[in-house]
Amino acid sequence: MSFAQRMAGRTVVVEVDGQLIVGNRHELKRMVLAALEDGARRFVIDFARTGYVDSSGLGVLISLSKEVRAAGGDLRLASLNEDLRTLFELTRLDTFFRISDDLEEALRE
Amino acid sequence: MVRATGRVILDLPADIAAIEEAVERAVEYCAPARLDRDRLRFNFRVGLTEALSNAILFGGGGDRDRSVRVELRVGSGEVRARVSDRGGGFDPEAVPDPRLPENLAKPSGRGVFLMRALMDEVRFNEACNEVTLVLRDTGGKWGSARPGAGVDPPGPAGLAAAAGPGNRTLEDAAADALSREMRLAHDLQMKLLPPIPRVRGVEAAARVVPAESVGGDFYQVLQLSGGRTGVMIGDVSGHGFPAALIMALVMSAAAISAQRGGAPATVLEHLDRAIGDELESTEMYLSLFYCVLSPGVPEVVYANAGHPHAFVMEPGGDARRLPATDPPMGIGGAPFRESRAEWIPGEDLLLLFTDGLSDTVARRGRKSGEDLVLNTVAVNHHRPAVEILERLFEISARAVPSIPADDRTAVVVRTG
Repeated sequence: MSFAQRMAGRTVVVEVDGQLIVGNRHELKRMVLAALEDGARRFVIDFARTGYVDSSGLGVLISLSKEVRAAGGDLRLASLNEDLRTLFELTRLDTFFRISDDLEEALRE
Repeated sequence: MVRATGRVILDLPADIAAIEEAVERAVEYCAPARLDRDRLRFNFRVGLTEALSNAILFGGGGDRDRSVRVELRVGSGEVRARVSDRGGGFDPEAVPDPRLPENLAKPSGRGVFLMRALMDEVRFNEACNEVTLVLRDTGGKWGSARPGAGVDPPGPAGLAAAAGPGNRTLEDAAADALSREMRLAHDLQMKLLPPIPRVRGVEAAARVVPAESVGGDFYQVLQLSGGRTGVMIGDVSGHGFPAALIMALVMSAAAISAQRGGAPATVLEHLDRAIGDELESTEMYLSLFYCVLSPGVPEVVYANAGHPHAFVMEPGGDARRLPATDPPMGIGGAPFRESRAEWIPGEDLLLLFTDGLSDTVARRGRKSGEDLVLNTVAVNHHRPAVEILERLFEISARAVPSIPADDRTAVVVRTG
């Protein structure tokens, strides 16, 4: 199982366990969109247990973020390790997403 | 699989589900290289994943029977991965900088950028269907060099698991259940294909020969305003009614958009809006080429979402490929790029065909199927379009096995 979903108050937290890549990105997309349809508006994608993310993974995060914003919600990313943070900086996507150091910080804001 | 000192070859099915396991095996195999382990763990994994995605999505066209080859070479302080597919390649230089503000919110177009940012060297061959990635111990783009792990590479069994055919039984069962549906889908597919319009100064011939299993091939030759002609070929991955439904949606949407006089990239954008969600929810891909030829204008204007076989054939026999300008629909998305190529009315031939045709003739000899198709057209270049088409289907009809696995489609167009 690549993704684990749970509620923290009214926030949907999705933990990415392993890789977020071309082969499993649809699974994450379906999970978040289903929750959005059910009325959830606050999302945190937690990368504390994530190995690597490829360009398709970045792509799915972008389209989800846009959909959540369009619905008046908020999607943020948390717990990027040094490699992942560098990946977001290289692609300048650190300016596109709201990134929190850890899950606690993401939930506090 | 072949195993030599420091070198291994993996053949993977063209299936994105095979990527993750293959990357893990490759990393294990490369572990003995004297390399920074963090860079092997992250940079190499991401770089190889991108190369495999491109090979599978561009070269495989969603058809998992078309294999992708990975050759790994492990030396002291260096690993090399050469990834090759049998597709028509795409132009890596045509991909715009994903960091530009106007591209930042686009979900696609970062693959080549990431490969280049994370690896020490990225080299494409001329046809752009093979890429070599190099990661070295020194001169790294990020991360500090650490000594290698010094463990033995995994045995052949471990690597074979990554290269194996996957869950065949399930797929077979699903295929059986779909067979009736496929026949119905075929009837729908054949009914949908419109006749070629008769346009003054345009000579066009096109045909789809369906296989047992539906591939969802289609073509359209459209008479546009101002004497212009629109020519389209597409191949929907996937089977049965979902593929036929996509094809039906594409054909009606394309005709409407093209008749409004839309430029090729605009037509693709309209299509993407019409069927993007359907493609995504069904996990199918659509390779689509669309071009416009205008009377007296010496150029062909086209947009190509991942269609591997589109050519301008010169009377001397030379073939100029019209390479993909974007990934297939369902992978990439709007906006689509447009490109132009020289076109001499009265002399050049436009030749479009799908994998089904070239893969079938490939079984006849050692030459690639694409070369055989191109040669056949080159030697018959002076003949009417209908006759050229006839020759193409003659060579594929003689192919072994006699029942091909995929639809065979070809379109030949000449303007006056």
